[in-house]
Amino acid sequence: MRNYLPKLKSLMLAVVLMIGTIAVANAQSRSISGTVLDARLGDPVPGATVLVKGTTRGTATDLDGKFTLPLQAGDQVLVISFVGYLNQEVEIGNQSSITIRLEEDIQSLEEAVVIGYGSQDKKEITSAVVGVKPEDFNRGNVTNPAQLLQGKVAGLSITRPGGSPNSGFNVRLRGLSTFGANSSPLIVLDGVIGASLENVDPNDIQSIDVLKDGSAAAIYGARGSSGVILITTTKKGSKEGTTNVNINSFTTLDQATNLIPVLSAEEFVARGGTDFGSDTDWRDELIDDALSFTTNASVSGSFGNSNYMASVNYRDNNGIVNGVGNERLNTRLNLAQGALNNRLRLNVNLSFTNVDSEDINGAAFRYATIYNPTAPVFEDTESAINRFGGYFQRDLFDFYNPVALARQQKFIGETKTALVSYRAEFDILPNLTLSAQYSQDRRNTLSGAFWSLQDFQVGIGATGSAQRNTFDRKQRIFESTLRYETDLSDKLNMTLLGGFGLQYTTNQGFNARVRQYLFDLGWNNLGAGAIRVGNNTDVSSFANQDQLNSAFGRANFNWDNTFFVSASVRAETYSGFGANNQTGVFPAFSVGSDFTQIFDMGVFNQFKPRVSYGVTGNLPPSPTLALGVFGNGNRIDLDGDPLTQSDIFVGINQFSNPNKDLKWETKKEFNVGVDFGLLNGKITGSVDYYTRNISDLLFNVPVAAGAPNPFDPGRFNTAGSTWVNLADLRAAGFEFVTSVNQIGKGALKWSPTVNFTIYDKTTIESLSNGELGFEELRFATPGAPGQNNNPIIYNRVGQNLGDIYGPRLNGLTESGQYILSTTDPNEFEKLGNGLPKGEFGFANSLMWGQWNLNFFFRGAWGHDLYNSYRGFYENGDPGSNTWNSVITDKTPTNPLVTSSPTFNSSYVEDASFVRLDNMELGYNIKTNSPNLGSLRVYLAAQNLFTITNYTGIDPEVRTNDSENGDAFTSALSPGIERRNTYFQTRSFTLGVTVNFK
Amino acid sequence: MLPLVFAIGACQELEQEVLDGVTAEDIANSNNPNLVNVLKASAYSRIVGSWGGHNSIWSIQEVSSDEMAIPQKGADWEDGGQWIRMHKHTWNASEESFNNSWAYCYSAVGEINNLLIQYPDVASLNAELKVLRALVYMWLIDSFGNVPIIDETTTGGNPTNATRAEVFAFIEKSIKDNIALLPETSLKSTINKMTAQAMLAKLYLNAGVYTGTPKWAEAEAAADAVINSGKYSLSSNYFANFSERNSGSTENILTLPYDQNNAGGFNLPQMTLHYLSQQTFNLQEQPWNGYASLEEFYNSYDATDVRRRSFLVGPQFASNGTRLIDISAEANDPDGPPLTFTPQINMLAPNAFRQAGARVGKFEFALGAGSSLNNDYPLIRYGEIILIKAEAALRQNKPAVALAAVNQIRARASMPAYTTLTLDELFAERGREMFAEATRRSDQIRFGKWNQPWWEKTASQPFRALFPIPQNQINANPALKQNPGY
Repeated sequence: MRNYLPKLKSLMLAVVLMIGTIAVANAQSRSISGTVLDARLGDPVPGATVLVKGTTRGTATDLDGKFTLPLQAGDQVLVISFVGYLNQEVEIGNQSSITIRLEEDIQSLEEAVVIGYGSQDKKEITSAVVGVKPEDFNRGNVTNPAQLLQGKVAGLSITRPGGSPNSGFNVRLRGLSTFGANSSPLIVLDGVIGASLENVDPNDIQSIDVLKDGSAAAIYGARGSSGVILITTTKKGSKEGTTNVNINSFTTLDQATNLIPVLSAEEFVARGGTDFGSDTDWRDELIDDALSFTTNASVSGSFGNSNYMASVNYRDNNGIVNGVGNERLNTRLNLAQGALNNRLRLNVNLSFTNVDSEDINGAAFRYATIYNPTAPVFEDTESAINRFGGYFQRDLFDFYNPVALARQQKFIGETKTALVSYRAEFDILPNLTLSAQYSQDRRNTLSGAFWSLQDFQVGIGATGSAQRNTFDRKQRIFESTLRYETDLSDKLNMTLLGGFGLQYTTNQGFNARVRQYLFDLGWNNLGAGAIRVGNNTDVSSFANQDQLNSAFGRANFNWDNTFFVSASVRAETYSGFGANNQTGVFPAFSVGSDFTQIFDMGVFNQFKPRVSYGVTGNLPPSPTLALGVFGNGNRIDLDGDPLTQSDIFVGINQFSNPNKDLKWETKKEFNVGVDFGLLNGKITGSVDYYTRNISDLLFNVPVAAGAPNPFDPGRFNTAGSTWVNLADLRAAGFEFVTSVNQIGKGALKWSPTVNFTIYDKTTIESLSNGELGFEELRFATPGAPGQNNNPIIYNRVGQNLGDIYGPRLNGLTESGQYILSTTDPNEFEKLGNGLPKGEFGFANSLMWGQWNLNFFFRGAWGHDLYNSYRGFYENGDPGSNTWNSVITDKTPTNPLVTSSPTFNSSYVEDASFVRLDNMELGYNIKTNSPNLGSLRVYLAAQNLFTITNYTGIDPEVRTNDSENGDAFTSALSPGIERRNTYFQTRSFTLGVTVNFK
Repeated sequence: MLPLVFAIGACQELEQEVLDGVTAEDIANSNNPNLVNVLKASAYSRIVGSWGGHNSIWSIQEVSSDEMAIPQKGADWEDGGQWIRMHKHTWNASEESFNNSWAYCYSAVGEINNLLIQYPDVASLNAELKVLRALVYMWLIDSFGNVPIIDETTTGGNPTNATRAEVFAFIEKSIKDNIALLPETSLKSTINKMTAQAMLAKLYLNAGVYTGTPKWAEAEAAADAVINSGKYSLSSNYFANFSERNSGSTENILTLPYDQNNAGGFNLPQMTLHYLSQQTFNLQEQPWNGYASLEEFYNSYDATDVRRRSFLVGPQFASNGTRLIDISAEANDPDGPPLTFTPQINMLAPNAFRQAGARVGKFEFALGAGSSLNNDYPLIRYGEIILIKAEAALRQNKPAVALAAVNQIRARASMPAYTTLTLDELFAERGREMFAEATRRSDQIRFGKWNQPWWEKTASQPFRALFPIPQNQINANPALKQNPGY
């Protein structure tokens, strides 16, 4: 955990000064003078070395970045170098004055990698840890920190199918590590474990580090199984003694793209659909190009022992569908102050985020695609005006005017997130540091929902309905660590870390819904709703809290920068574990060695094989699962007479079976990898192979209802399932990443980075624990109409997780009837798998003078998707003609399918894709203003094109089933594109960044 | 080292607090005077639930009988063929509705057993709970037969099957041992002495099916005990027993006290009505157009039989009197778009007409009804007790007694009295009286008609007289043996 950068810098400075002195002593008649500037910021670079190539003659730049160097005959090329920048060679020619712009050496800046509870030199890292810097982030209108990393880190899968600005991202590291709610990596924001991502705006991020393997994540114990993402925000100015003001402002245009083709009104009628006499493009009615606006402003500075950064980030994001969007205001203040000669350091990080969002009923996307194209949007009949507010509606099953649906129902949310964090560090001795951090993360959401009196779907039956609810989360963490570093010998360095932590989490909320309004007053006046019990109403509240205590320690050894060893352990006691299993212990060990320090490795300047092993855990999704808490049963009127009320009681029923043995999930991960650098760091990269075994997964298993409960001796099961630790999963993968730093001719520089992952898909080794468990778990039916009963995802022991099963379509009869291999679900065949065989990202950065161009491809291969639109709406049977039909490239047309839609192999499509995910063209405008540091304009585009054979909305990997709200089975049914998926969007962004100094 | 000191403290046991519910300990420590009543309500709360919903005990009992079917309309109601199989008697052990029904019953058994363990000393509560548990076992013995007997004394691992005769004995003993301790009340929503007698009458009626040994005399005696109690009488209006406000019925003996707001689960309007019927009854939600009666069953009613109003047939209107038009009516449907419920159903699957089939209209659909009804569901009613007496007497060769009883039922339905009575006539009368009250399946079995062919169903094998033990339950409890034939 030593940062060698400062030492190196002072050493370099000394050498430079010495060389400078020598150079001055040998002054000759001809000389060259010049200025060395930072290419990006335009600031002078003091202390840079200017050498005549092939000699030891040279000088250093002064505080203004200027130098003068005497020349001798035959001097042809100058070499300019400085720590943190790439060396640059310049032809001298006849010039007597010269300006050199040094490019930052990104690789070199990456040297320090943030790990849990500290940072470590990259060369000392012995586990799979990846750091990503802002230069590598995704471009365009990025609103969520996760999106910055999409496709950038091998093994880190980040997806958001469809283009809704309100949806979050599904984040998976190295595939599935749990069935449960915690399938996303743990976020650690400036040391605050489990902080909400809402707390940080992408613009304020200085670096993101991903702890990929079990060994690295094990320091986070029972929360580390899904990996850990460490986010560090900017805390100081870019240069000592200066103040920077940064303003970044952009406008984004979103357009809908890749809409599924449907029949025209004429074609629809020709096929036998009811003709209502109009011709409506329903998606056109719903969609509009959308403009979004973003402005980020920050002030930062560094003065001696004081550092600060303050920012305001405002984002107004509008979706392509009117009524979908959000407005976000994020403010941040990071302060650091040293005292007692900087032995005592105080850090304060404050952030506050407010997000106001609005949304529509997702079913509008489905109806916009399949609603009758001959129907008009409005209808001028008395009945339509009185009942539906003028919208065209018909009493048909599953048939709602999408425009009315989008306008007559409303869903809003106001989320306020505040994170306060205080950390004090005190150097008891120069090499012994005590630190303590307290943080409080609060997230309060107030939501409203509204169904108009004239909303055909819900509102008319309910005679208007409205809802208000809150969800509040509070997490408090206190952690303290003691860190000791010492040289045990002149070659062996040791760093020890010990600490403990206390974490308290509270969740609470209430919900109120009423119905029967006279006016559409919505959630602002629930009292106007006449009916407050029964259907479409609710009054309820909930609260829970838990506590997690931890103790942890870590030791790191560095022998002569050649051998590196790290070992750690964390013990965690969680109130939500069963009484019989309250404390889990999570050890880790890793070792690595840089072979270039031992052998002559030729072109390699680094070749560090490393091996690691770590155990991590996962917590139960709710703290009271072990207890079998009694919930509210029916309200029973004991005498059956509604007029007497004193004998009405709410039953208390135990709807879950207690499990006193309930504990954490365990993941054991073994990782072997090599970090390498070639040609003096021109090419860098790493290769990793991992295998992971996950056991004791938390799962709600069917048990013999009514039988004695083995996990709560002496009592009986009152529910048909119990939360139990069971199942074993095995997964493996191979990851590769390599970057080439600035190759090219003349002023044109190209820096490509390629990463890819090949997954050995998760295999289910067992789904049991003793007699409890399953041989097979089936999930996810296609849905209504008519496909409610046969699940299509089979999770079978010995097979891959998430296999898609169904009958094979062996063709069509002449009359267009399916010829299916079977109708017996037990004879269904494996038709595919929704999880990818591999994923890749290919980033390119091109620089040419003031211009820069970044473009980034990413993709996934070997995954299948069930195309629900085809699965329900391409058939030509009479029953299907209520709805419009989709006509994709894969839709049979001769003959048309005349059977009722039934799931089969033809609807499972290979969804491998390559996407030009984002690109950005930027121009740095040259400025000589004393106040203007830099001025940059850029044009960015997102989702420009996708190459795929998939004919649905979006070939993106679906790790979860969007229609399965149960967090514990949703991950067991990947690979389904549901019909309510938001349309894909393509975005164009025009922005400007100004830096004042 | 300071952190180490804390570390040792940090990993001590943590108590999990519960903020929004109670634990078994909280209940045990409560001295609230209402506790016993709350516990009682808790047990009944388990019984009221989804008994009368789709995929429930009611569903499997009705759709497997010749009273009702769920025709498949194109993709709608295909649902993996479950309801077609249910009608054709080709169901398998994996049908979702079997597992739902089983889990519903045994979760209630578990809850009641836990209460019995926790409160062994509250005698009145215990007696009531044990008879309530026996009620649950009556559903289990009838549907699944050889089910495990789990009571408060059961210990050890996975329970094993008992024979149907053993289950019968357990139910009989549970009722008889506790009947004296039960209250004398005549409340319809909780168990009392007369409820227990009525349960015995129902149990003995099927003793022959359950054990191989009929108990007709016992059935008659139990029915007589109820009749002679004088607590019940036939409602002059048959439909008063099924109306929205039927809690005043003099005829209902034991009901599930459904309440659309507080005790939901009786979803009949959704299950049987056409989508457009939402406008007839101003329903809060659009119905699903599923359950319909069979034409032959509908035709078993004389046109003058008041009970024929148990069906919705003919042209359908919105609540404001306008004719309902189903623009999506099938092109080949002779009745065309104006919505008309026809007793005839063109086919069971795959393309039944959307408006085909008489709908279940026996339970009043109040204007503005929600997806759950307020109507209390009669599990046992006096009319059935009279029919039990009639059948028990007839089978004991006492036709006069039987005739007297059955003619009470016919008179109330405005039907002429029988002068002679055959078993087939009694079977048909029972069918007409008890439509949609989940007794048809047991009746068909008891009268030997279960395996015969009827509309869209061929003759089925004898083992179909028992439903299979749900496959999910066997998976969860390998000690369970499947019923023979499956």
